[in-house]
Formats: sequence, C-alpha cells, structure tokens
Amino acid sequence: MAVNALEVANLSFHYPDGSAALQAVSFVVAAGESVAVLGPNGAGKSTLLLHLNGLLPESRPHDGAVRVGGQPVVRANLPEVRRQVGLLFQDPDDQLFCPTVFEDVAFGPRQLALTEEQVRQRVEEALTRVGLVGFESRLPHHLSQGEKRRVCLAGVLACQSSILVLDEPTSGLDPRGRRELKALLRQLPITKIIATHDLELAAELCPRTLLLDGGRLVADGPTLQLLADEPLMHKHGLERPHLLDHLHPHGPVAGR
Amino acid sequence: MYAGWTDHHRGCDSWLCRLPAGVKLPVAIGLVLAMVAVPARWAVGLWGFAGLLALLLAISGVSVRLVVRKLLLLEPMVLVIAVAAAFQPAGWRGALLLASRSTLCLATMVLLASTTPFMDILRVLRRWRVPPLLVTTLMLMHRYLFVLADQAHRMRRARQGRTFTPRRALVWRHRAGIIAHLFVRTSDRAQRIYWAMSARGWR
Repeated sequence: MAVNALEVANLSFHYPDGSAALQAVSFVVAAGESVAVLGPNGAGKSTLLLHLNGLLPESRPHDGAVRVGGQPVVRANLPEVRRQVGLLFQDPDDQLFCPTVFEDVAFGPRQLALTEEQVRQRVEEALTRVGLVGFESRLPHHLSQGEKRRVCLAGVLACQSSILVLDEPTSGLDPRGRRELKALLRQLPITKIIATHDLELAAELCPRTLLLDGGRLVADGPTLQLLADEPLMHKHGLERPHLLDHLHPHGPVAGR
Repeated sequence: MYAGWTDHHRGCDSWLCRLPAGVKLPVAIGLVLAMVAVPARWAVGLWGFAGLLALLLAISGVSVRLVVRKLLLLEPMVLVIAVAAAFQPAGWRGALLLASRSTLCLATMVLLASTTPFMDILRVLRRWRVPPLLVTTLMLMHRYLFVLADQAHRMRRARQGRTFTPRRALVWRHRAGIIAHLFVRTSDRAQRIYWAMSARGWR
C-alpha cells in the first residue's frame, strides 16, 4: 500500500491565551494530491499549515498527531520533515530574509550539505522555473510584490520538497501575477496543500477541499461540490464563486 | 521602498566601487584604527585623514549629498558623547578632538558602505571566519531595516490621512504610537521570520 503524503489525526492546538486554534482535525492526503484549505479569517488555516512543517506546537513534546510520508512529526524527525515539506508564507517579507535573491534561494539548499556548485545549480533551476533568471543579485526590497512572491516560491522549490504547502499564495498579486502563479503551480507534479481565500484558484487547481471554521474541519470533499453548496459557503463566511456558472460540466476540474 | 537612500549607491561604477570588498574593508578598518591612534598633540594630523576621505569621496562617484545625509543621521550620537566628554578633565578641547575623530571614523564607514554592496562585506566577514551567528544577525538587520522603514512610512502616512488638525503635541503622540506599534509588529515578525528560517532547514 502506498504511503500517504500527509496524515493528520485528531490534531488540536491552543494558543498561549487559551483560545482553541484547532480542534480534533483529522484528514489524510495522498501523494500527488492537490488540496485546498478554505475558511474565513481566523479559521485556523495558517495554524494548521504551521503544524504540517513542525513549526507548531513550539512547546515540547510534539505528540505525533501529524505524519509526513509515514513519519511522525516529532523533534527527532524535524530536519527530514522540513526537507520534505516546503512552506510558502503569506507575507513574502517574512520569508525573504537574505540580502540578495541568490542568497535567499540558496538558503534552503545550503542547509542540505550540498556543494556550492550544486547549490548554484539548484538556484538557477528554481529561478528559471519561476521566470526570474537575471534577478540573482537583486535586493529583496527593490522587488515588486509579485516578484517577491516568486522568489519565495523559488526558495521553496530549490529545496526540492515532495509536499508544497502554500499560505495565501495569490494575495497581493495582480491578475497577471496570479495567472502566472497558477500556471506554475499547475505544472508542479507534487503534493500541494493550498490555504486560500481565492475560491477560483481552489476550483481550478485543487480537486479536493478541506473547509475549516473555528478550528474545526467542517467539510472535506470535492471542491466543486463544496463550492456549489451555497448554504454551506454562506454559513462559513465564504461564497459560491461565479466561476461555477461558466464551468463546462466535463471540464478538467469538474469531477474528481 | 522609502529607505532606498540608506542603501549602497546603486549603479556606481567608479574604480572605488569596483574595488573588491576584501581590499576595502581592511583598508577602512586600518584607517579607523589610525584615526583613533593619532595622539592628541598631533591632532592636526586628523586634517590629513579628512583630506584623504574628501579625495576618495570626490573620485568615488557617490553623491556627496547622500554621504553627508547619512553622516548627519549618525551625528547626534557623536554630539551626545562629545558633550559628555566636555565635562572631563580634557575640557572642550578633548570634546572637540573626540567629535572630530568619531566623525572621521563614521565618514570612513559611510564611504565604505556607500561604495560596497552589503552582501560583499558579509562575504568577506564569512571568509575571515567571523562567528556565523554574528554574520547572520548582521544580514537580518540589514534586510529588515528596509522593511521596518517602509512599515513606519506606511503607518505615518495612514495617520496623516486621518489627521485634520495637526498640533505639535498630537504629532509627538502619534510618533510615540508608531514607535510602540513598530515594536509590537517587529516582535511578531521576528517570530514569523524564525519560522520561515526553520521551515527551510535552519537549526
């Protein structure tokens, strides 16, 4: 039996002030699957994503409620888990902490004990993939929001993770940036977990959706089916996207 | 991007800018040490250093205004120390000497920073086996200086957009508020940066 890319079993998390951020969340993601995580603000989406990379809970011990590639996310496995799970943060300025684009994209590969030549090759490949060849010596604060986002993605791709976890990847992007990012994500044949408010992105890229609200997993099913459920969408602060009115019934994302 | 003027001079193509950081950094450190070491009775020798710096600035191709602006930004610190020194036995002469030395040292470093990309300086520090934690801290400080300056600018503009009766007391209260807010936001951001570093294998 093939090993699941991700398994989350009965995951709960409370913030230091005692408020519940996640309550008994359970789901399984198969290798190669693309899953959208939807929900209103404060639903616990970002908190869930931080758990997938072992960044939360900070207090020890990790209880192993999350498994990546069959391995429990516990302290001893953190380096391997973080190598497998590439996490794209919501604010590019949080993620771009090096003075130049090259240094930033090279940050992950340099932690993998590669030679400098291999690091250079990985950076080149990643920048080619996101269309930013020639940006190597640029400074992050001279980049547009869209370019920053692409550098962040290059930094994650350069680690050659098997699972890509994205937190609001299209926020702050103009329509062209959004279109290019979608095309890029569509080409990546790896497991993807995308937390977003961009319902059209979810419908176009992710055949399956997890709906979170108040820290609970309230629905888990085919994206188009969930998005078409107007009462469900309204109840959880979302809406039925117009895209569904124009979707061909036999289109590429119509059925799962 | 509002803190661009604090950045090194982009597009500078003079020989001083092209000179490797591995040469400029030790020379700059040597100059600073020499300025500090000049005995008080030969204080007039400091004019020689001032002349050398002026010459380097003139041929560096860097905007003089920019360098002076950066220097003025640092000058209050020098003045505070000089005022404190004026009450020492050496008196106002000692204070003047201290202020001159400090200003020349700062000018040397500002000229170095204006003609050398910061990343090149970090590379030299790494080559010199400066503790990695210190180099990383410098790297993060440089990177987030710009983010913070941008954030402060946006907050100030947002406040201005809702300020209808500008009064001096109100302006100062707003400034204090912005600084307090920046502290809180910076602390939150530091947590997220740490997460982002950990997510890419930092230990």
